[in-house]
Amino acid sequence: MSTFEQLIDQFLYRPDEPGLPSLQWLADAPRPESTGVEAPQEFLAFSLTDETYAVPIATVREIVKVPVITEVPRAPKELLGVMNLRGEVLPVYDVRARLLLAGGVQPITGPGDVPAQARIVLVKSESGDAGIITDGVEGVVRLLPSLTEPPPPGGTEKPFLAGLSRRGERLYILLDVEKVLE
Amino acid sequence: MTERRPVAEFVAEATEIVEGLSRELLGLDERRGEEPDPERLNAIFRAAHSLKGLASLFGHDRIARLAHVLEDALDALRLGKVAADDALIDAFIDGVDVLSGLLAMASRGETDGPAAERALALAQHIETLVAPAPEKPPALHELGVDKAVLNVLTEYEEHRLRENVKKGVALYMVRAVFSLEDFDQKLTALNAALKPLAEVVSTLPSAQASDEARIAFDLLVACRQPAADLEAVIRPFGATHALLSASVAPRPSAPVPVPVTAGPTAEVSLKSLSQTVRVDIARLDRLMAAVGDLLLTRTNIKRFAEGARAAGGGLHPMWAQELSREARALERKLDDLQKGILEVRMVPLGQVFDRLARLVRRLLRESGKEIDFEISGGDVELDKLIVEELSDPLMHLLRNAIDHGIEAPDKRASKGKPRRGRIRLRAANSGNHVVIEVGDDGAGMDDDRIRDEAVSRGLLTTKKAADLQRTDLLNLVFLPGFSTRRQVSELSGRGVGLDVVKTNLGRLSGLIDIVSERGQGTTFVLTLPLTLAIIRALVVQSAGRTYAVPMSSVLEIVAVRPSELRTVEHRQMLSVRGQTVPFVRLSQLFKLPETPVDLHYVVLVGLAQHRLGIAVDHLLGQQDVVTKPLSARLRDVPGLAGATDLGDRRAVLVLDVPALVSEIVRPQASP
Ligand SMILES: Nc1ncnc2c1ncn2[C@@H]1O[C@H](COP(=O)(O)OP(=O)(O)OP(=O)(O)O)[C@@H](O)[C@H]1O
Ligand SMILES: [Mg+2]
Repeated sequence: MSTFEQLIDQFLYRPDEPGLPSLQWLADAPRPESTGVEAPQEFLAFSLTDETYAVPIATVREIVKVPVITEVPRAPKELLGVMNLRGEVLPVYDVRARLLLAGGVQPITGPGDVPAQARIVLVKSESGDAGIITDGVEGVVRLLPSLTEPPPPGGTEKPFLAGLSRRGERLYILLDVEKVLE
Repeated sequence: MTERRPVAEFVAEATEIVEGLSRELLGLDERRGEEPDPERLNAIFRAAHSLKGLASLFGHDRIARLAHVLEDALDALRLGKVAADDALIDAFIDGVDVLSGLLAMASRGETDGPAAERALALAQHIETLVAPAPEKPPALHELGVDKAVLNVLTEYEEHRLRENVKKGVALYMVRAVFSLEDFDQKLTALNAALKPLAEVVSTLPSAQASDEARIAFDLLVACRQPAADLEAVIRPFGATHALLSASVAPRPSAPVPVPVTAGPTAEVSLKSLSQTVRVDIARLDRLMAAVGDLLLTRTNIKRFAEGARAAGGGLHPMWAQELSREARALERKLDDLQKGILEVRMVPLGQVFDRLARLVRRLLRESGKEIDFEISGGDVELDKLIVEELSDPLMHLLRNAIDHGIEAPDKRASKGKPRRGRIRLRAANSGNHVVIEVGDDGAGMDDDRIRDEAVSRGLLTTKKAADLQRTDLLNLVFLPGFSTRRQVSELSGRGVGLDVVKTNLGRLSGLIDIVSERGQGTTFVLTLPLTLAIIRALVVQSAGRTYAVPMSSVLEIVAVRPSELRTVEHRQMLSVRGQTVPFVRLSQLFKLPETPVDLHYVVLVGLAQHRLGIAVDHLLGQQDVVTKPLSARLRDVPGLAGATDLGDRRAVLVLDVPALVSEIVRPQASP
């Protein structure tokens, strides 16, 4: 890339540029024939370390590429920092440690610290919208409430989970957004 | 919405009227003993009248009733039925006070309070003051004015006529004929031209118009100058004049015909006379935020344009040039826009000064001290929000000056000082700041009393109190509850005054300095930023991280070698021109990796009376920024006011200087 192209790229860059999995799928995805039995619910599935988590699609505001993240001194360690999304300042959290996934919170200050497919899932919340860093977004899944079971008893991560749900071979761990960001 | 809006609108409009009323009354107050200027009396009368109308429209009967009494009293005054004596002027000034109180009640939706009782008492008081002293005025036609003219005059016009005749001013009837198209401008111009030499007592539209496209006016004029001067002034308007009465002139040969049917109530336009709009400050905030975002886009475009010029690659040089030029034009226009919005938010400090002047007058009457109160700088402008926040602190400082500062007249005399004390309230611009001073030439702060008080309250040990530097000692008076008064009076003794001053000034990122000399007096110097909407920030770097520090809190920047720091009770201290200031490295405070340096850049910041030196690794420059709040989720993270964007789409944290100062300095100030 020439310097000029880089400049243009930088100028036109938006953390949420097209080419990302978009919530538009919802409209496009084929609706299952209504059998009158049970309506499936829609979730956004994403990966954290080697597990797949899901949150109700209604709680997702946006999915963005990892921008530069500014660390906030003296904040709880789950808070990676704040990002600037079109003029709005939003906190970004790493919930892996809370879910007892490998290795605790690593400092992430920008796109250079994460693999290319990493994304921030921006969720709507009563106590303020916030971003959750994920290792990648898989897409929207429709899950049947009847196939959803409560989280297994025990385990310190339990309070942050809303349940487990199966779809064919796959197991989705349903995350309670409000609790995990508390 | 339907409930609240009318109240807010009523209060806003009524407050404006009361402020105008207050301004004119103060003018009257300053010229006590002189005959009041009729224009001023009319202005006051009109204000009371509009307030009455407005209040009854919105169903605020108490305000309407008081306004009505004021209106009647003013009417009596301008008709010369009563004299503008001290008692009446004092009552009027009280009236403004009570009206403000009633408005405050209305805005809070309260129906009962002390203001309501005062309103009733005051209304009765004013009524007794203006109770008519019947005295038959001489009939005007006896004074030599034609009866036909008298028939159509209002009571006020008759009074003005009588006043003029009494003074021996010659009366003329000026006849002017104007085209229907522009008669209003012409008539206004004629009035203006007459003003320097004559009083226009009445303007009567004449039935005697010579043709359909024209209209004739008869102006009843009392002219203080020779007839030739009058002639010279009215001739350009094609007007003629006839003498009606004069102490030294013959009666007019031919009486000027005056219509008996058409009264002086020419058709009034319903168009509002006011050229102003009232705007909710929140709307301006939103506009300002939009401008803030545009400023960022501007920065980006500018950088892009510069880069495009330098890099060249693929882009026609003409394009790059065009882009730079447009970027510069955009920048200029945005600067104008930003300035424009800031200007709209600015209001003169006079708005609070007027209110304070009323308060001081009342306190002075009650205190029994002899004090001259001087105000200057009422035209200095500040952001509306700041001006409102200032009114309480200034009130407390003035109360203190009256109560603790100025001594009783005899005591002053015994010290060789003039019996009359002096209190000054001054404002002046100083660069990006406004400096407001409240000064008295009284007793000065009493170091010993303050020290004793602090020890007896257990704030300090006797030993520590003795070691305290004078500035630190004086700063004790800002502590909540601190007072050298043993008895709580209406004026002092609760120790809340200076706590309010400190808290409000802190909120406004303002600074307070005390200059006090025993026996000479005390001056509180308040330094305030012009606006809070867009702030100028100092961009600094510490441990590789970038932060913005609001310039309004930055006093100065000094470079200090680590060896120059002293340690006092486990705290690092720095000496700036003889004053010892706590020192902290930002990297240490923020628990960032610290590296040793040869030189600290110390940003000296202040909050109210406290000072703090914050050391950073690099100074990167200054920039105008709009601070965005941090998420409510981060409310518990200390020391940050928000985040901003310096033009590279990163979030840069803005330090909360007041919070940092309290964090570092407070633990030491309290026991
Ligand atoms: N102009 C002044 N001259 C001398 N001493 C002053 C002056 N202003 C304040 N002080 C001192 O500062 C102290 C604290 O003032 P502050 O206004 O906080 O409390 P207060 O006036 O005693 O009570 P109140 O809260 O009722 O106003 C006073 O008691 C007085 O000793
Ligand atoms: Mg006080």
